[in-house]
Amino acid sequence: MDSVIPSETNPFGYPETIWRLFQETPRAGGFPPDTEGVVTGEAGSHASRAVLRLQLRFDEKGRVADARFRAYGCPSTIAVGAWIAGWCLGKTAFTLSGLQSADLRQTLEISYDRAHCAMVGEDALRAALDRYSGEQKT
Amino acid sequence: MIYLDYAATAPLDPNALKAMLPFLRTDSGFANPASAHGPGVQARNAVEAARAQVAALIGAEPNEIVWTSGATESNNLALKGAIEFRGLRSAHIVSARTEHKSVLDSCRHLETVGVRVTLLKPDADGLVSPEQVLEALRPDTTLVSLMWVNNEIGAVQEVQRLAPLLRERGVLFHVDAVQGVGKLPLDLRSTPIDLLSVSAHKLYGPKGIGALYVRRKPRARLAPQMHGGGHEWGMRSGTLPTHQAVGMGVACEVAAARLRVDAERLGGLRELMWQCLQVLPRIHRNGPAESGNTRRAPHVLNVSFEGVEGESLRAALPQLAVSSGSACSSATQEPSYVLRALGRDDELANASLRFSFGRGTTAEHVELAAQMVIRQVQRLRELSPLWTA
Amino acid sequence: MPIYFDHNATTPLDPRVLEAMQPYLAGPYGNPSSLHRYGRAARDAVEAARAQVAALAGAQPGEVVWTSGGTESDNLALQGATEGQRPTRVLYGATEHPAVLETAEALRGHGWVVETIAIDGDGLVDWPAFEAQLARGPLRIAALMAANNETGVIHDVGRAAGLVRAAGLVRAAGGLLLCDAVQAAGKIPLDFAACGADLMSLSAHKLYGPKGVGALLRKAEVELAPLLHGGGQERGLRGGTENVAGIVGFGAAAELARTGLEARAAHCLALRERLAAGLHGLPGVTIFGERAPRLPNTLQFALKGWEGEALLMALDRKGIAVSSGSACSSGKGEPSHVLLGMGLPRDLAYGAIRVSLGQDNTAAEIDRFLVVLAELRMAAAA
Repeated sequence: MDSVIPSETNPFGYPETIWRLFQETPRAGGFPPDTEGVVTGEAGSHASRAVLRLQLRFDEKGRVADARFRAYGCPSTIAVGAWIAGWCLGKTAFTLSGLQSADLRQTLEISYDRAHCAMVGEDALRAALDRYSGEQKT
Repeated sequence: MIYLDYAATAPLDPNALKAMLPFLRTDSGFANPASAHGPGVQARNAVEAARAQVAALIGAEPNEIVWTSGATESNNLALKGAIEFRGLRSAHIVSARTEHKSVLDSCRHLETVGVRVTLLKPDADGLVSPEQVLEALRPDTTLVSLMWVNNEIGAVQEVQRLAPLLRERGVLFHVDAVQGVGKLPLDLRSTPIDLLSVSAHKLYGPKGIGALYVRRKPRARLAPQMHGGGHEWGMRSGTLPTHQAVGMGVACEVAAARLRVDAERLGGLRELMWQCLQVLPRIHRNGPAESGNTRRAPHVLNVSFEGVEGESLRAALPQLAVSSGSACSSATQEPSYVLRALGRDDELANASLRFSFGRGTTAEHVELAAQMVIRQVQRLRELSPLWTA
Repeated sequence: MPIYFDHNATTPLDPRVLEAMQPYLAGPYGNPSSLHRYGRAARDAVEAARAQVAALAGAQPGEVVWTSGGTESDNLALQGATEGQRPTRVLYGATEHPAVLETAEALRGHGWVVETIAIDGDGLVDWPAFEAQLARGPLRIAALMAANNETGVIHDVGRAAGLVRAAGLVRAAGGLLLCDAVQAAGKIPLDFAACGADLMSLSAHKLYGPKGVGALLRKAEVELAPLLHGGGQERGLRGGTENVAGIVGFGAAAELARTGLEARAAHCLALRERLAAGLHGLPGVTIFGERAPRLPNTLQFALKGWEGEALLMALDRKGIAVSSGSACSSGKGEPSHVLLGMGLPRDLAYGAIRVSLGQDNTAAEIDRFLVVLAELRMAAAA
């Protein structure tokens, strides 16, 4: 048999959005240290095999000008990070604080047994927003 | 797609297929091999010729080969049949934690009827020494069951050295040889193994057939696990699938002819893959450290990658048909119990890939596959907030 | 080209079945338990076949458990239903296949009371006796075949299921009914949902499918212990890498059997009636189970003055393949246990010859058979 044959896309049957974000991982990475207006939020644990670090750069008007993420975990966890980083752009902290893990589950078609991936997303965003509101007060 | 999963299943050898087809056609050879008429005799002759081919590959007599539906049945028949025949409700079995599920699950079943089982812990290389086995023997030990070549890590156990030691002590010895037969030489005339399981589809034969070698001298006795028409000297009833037997026979003959050449070539590909992967820091080879083909099966390389999560690693390689753990445990998505038995933590056990090579694999396939793996491991590590180079 | 009259022993593979199997025999198809694409293609094929086999027998796909054949199915049913249970009673029809008979008998060694269900001289269940037998004590499982492999006699499985169920209600601990439908499948309609059986055995190679694959149908609520341990395939009920090509072939054969059932049955019945008419014209012929409903393709008879084995060999030399009983027990020198089970005398049972017809047999072959038989009779008389 010929061991090389053309392959199909998404052979493992992940939801399309998750598969695209996992493959392309837009906004993966982090901002250089000391970048102005950046807050970082992290959630999850190594032991639970899902860790998400989210970085948001706010402009002077309080809107997210840019975002980056890093993730360790299954494709759903990675897709959650990429999706949040894109969704944040142009939004204020107030708008962002409305995001629930259930919204993530629905938007990314995350099955119930993978609910923790969405929760890690919500938690990382919340941690970043807490940092942001803390810095605004000082 | 690059297929590097020959240890899960191998494609049918073209010669085997060619030999099978007449028995799948309407005009000849389709009769029941148990039928008394001429067409039945014709089918029976084909089954018996195939039996001799299987026997020849392992140095057995044809009447020591019992056809089964595959290695799972062979392992079940060997363990449960041997224990049941002896009627020892309080018998003792020695086996190892890294055995195939069909051996472990048969042991677990036997425990429910009062048999005691000692599952030896292999060393970090996945090896169980003959001395370790001897130490575990007790006066009531009936059977030792040990796999020759581990399906996940390719560790080659010293079954040839162990066999005479068990014979001296009067303990029955079963070997799950599914991953070894056709890959490494074996001569049962000089190796006193009593029972030995073989699968066709791992050696380029058809799926759905296997064999159990049952020694005649001295005779290893089994209670049948499948009752009925009394086929296979009463050890295994059921209409014999002529085409399947013929396919397995030819596959064994081909394997015997190619054994040395294949082993050398595949061992080379295995090392080539490992060499290519050296670009990546913090990777671990699972299995024996000793180099060469003495302790490592030529066709298997198992590697754990630090800093990546297993499911993402597999998902990132859609163009690579490899397995993580054995095929049988990958459906359940648990980290490999074999790697855990070697002392790997859950994360490393999960972030592992088993590359297994076969006749269709070329050096180009290996290099291409290695590039894919390197690229994706690097990508996932860079993506991880936990990774520090 | 010999005349093949032994379709109850095994059938040739339908060329369309071979065509369906081809890609899975030769192609790069993987282990269905593997997660990669090759593995999933194999998995999809296995599941499509599951639906086809279910449809043939009026079952749900989820009720199909793959096995290596009818023998394993019967073993899985009887061993699986009794293992780990407090031993009570197991019943099986006196004319059951050896795969049921031997498996049931082996249970004696595990403390079970094993009894046969009485079969009358026509090959049918002695219903009053069966009912009385059920009332005598608790029951774990009873086995009654849908149709007998030697005589072709068809049993009223629904009636047996009703009696087993009624006896269970009285005793508040229902017994199970296993129906070995290996010979019936593809020859007469089957309805697993309606017939009331809890378990049903099927085999591919009796219906123009490949050898080495079969199925056990199991109602969801029936608890079984596995026969083959390891690997967790078939939801833990049957370990082992699936015989993908075989399963695909079984599916294709089941589909053809379902759609072609009436035509096949009519074809075989016409030939069998031609044969019966011819046999009635010969002196000293006994047709077994003739008064009972029978499979359209099966006729078992004895010719006075001939031993079955000798007649089989004589016919074989003339290029006609028949059986003297079931293929499994051929050559053992024992008379058919089926005929003995019907209470027929040993010397008559020794004479049994089974003709089992198939979709490719012709009227000319029947006529040729009758001519040869008449010649052999004359030669023996001379």
